[in-house]
Amino acid sequence: MSHGSSEGAEPDLTPMLDMVFQLVTFFMLVINFKGAALDQTLQLPVLGSARPLEWKGEFEPLVLNIDQDGHIKVYGAVVDPEKHIAREAAELKAQLKAAGQPTTGELPVPVVMRSDKATKFHLVNRIIQLCQENGYQQFSLSAMTGKE
Amino acid sequence: MSRRRHRRKNKSAVKLNVTAMLDMAFQLLSFFILTFRPAPVEGHLSLNMPPPVPLTNVATEVIAGKEGGGIAPLHALHLFVTATETGEVAQVRLESAILSSGRLTPGTLAGIDRRLQPLFARGNAIYDRIQIEVDRDLRYEELLKLVDVCAQQKLPDGTSLGKVSFVEMRPR
Repeated sequence: MSHGSSEGAEPDLTPMLDMVFQLVTFFMLVINFKGAALDQTLQLPVLGSARPLEWKGEFEPLVLNIDQDGHIKVYGAVVDPEKHIAREAAELKAQLKAAGQPTTGELPVPVVMRSDKATKFHLVNRIIQLCQENGYQQFSLSAMTGKE
Repeated sequence: MSRRRHRRKNKSAVKLNVTAMLDMAFQLLSFFILTFRPAPVEGHLSLNMPPPVPLTNVATEVIAGKEGGGIAPLHALHLFVTATETGEVAQVRLESAILSSGRLTPGTLAGIDRRLQPLFARGNAIYDRIQIEVDRDLRYEELLKLVDVCAQQKLPDGTSLGKVSFVEMRPR
């Protein structure tokens, strides 16, 4: 008796497949791999006048996550600030050279500084000085736009 | 004709097995759900931060520029910010004049703004940047409030100042 009705009990998976594909499409569209470079553990200061970064340059800005102790974190790992900034500047200069743009003087790319609100000034200033020594002069100081 | 008949006969037999596809789709979905991080609502304060210039006596240089008959050179306006032990602002000075004492509040920030505005107004444009000498222990959050006020100063041509330099104050 049960053998006779087993063929008809197969569920129609098509609607479920449709729904799953819609969800996959949604996540594929909203996924942002660049967001992984932003350290979400940092508590950024709140600044109401802060505006979204409107960078439409050819080259990517240098993002620096600075924790309370003045360490720079890249994808969660602490790196040596001097080596990291020098390497990034050298890579940018190589890209500029390949694009036929001048590599001397001020670098045409901003540094996005994502510093924790409790970081002391001398620690932040050390990073700023390192950037300036490597040719960066444009800075974008990150802040939350509202208390959330 | 014979082909059509043949298809009709087999129509009910053709059944696509979607289980494997569904498995794969669920795996993709799991991946995207696990790696999904909504972008934080972050803003930015864009500044041009050239290396600091040596501290000079501005008043003397302005007079010297007038005496020479030429256009007076542009200078940095020097602010001095001292901090408490907890890293909050203790005092903000403009050269030797005290702009504010105690914690930074919206009121004190507005007061500093009012004091700075005339210095960048039309006909009085001798500054092209603000240089802030900051106590080494000042918290970044406090500094950013002050930098925001400085960066919003309007130059005679209507553009925002946006040129700020920092110097670390020597330990007392």
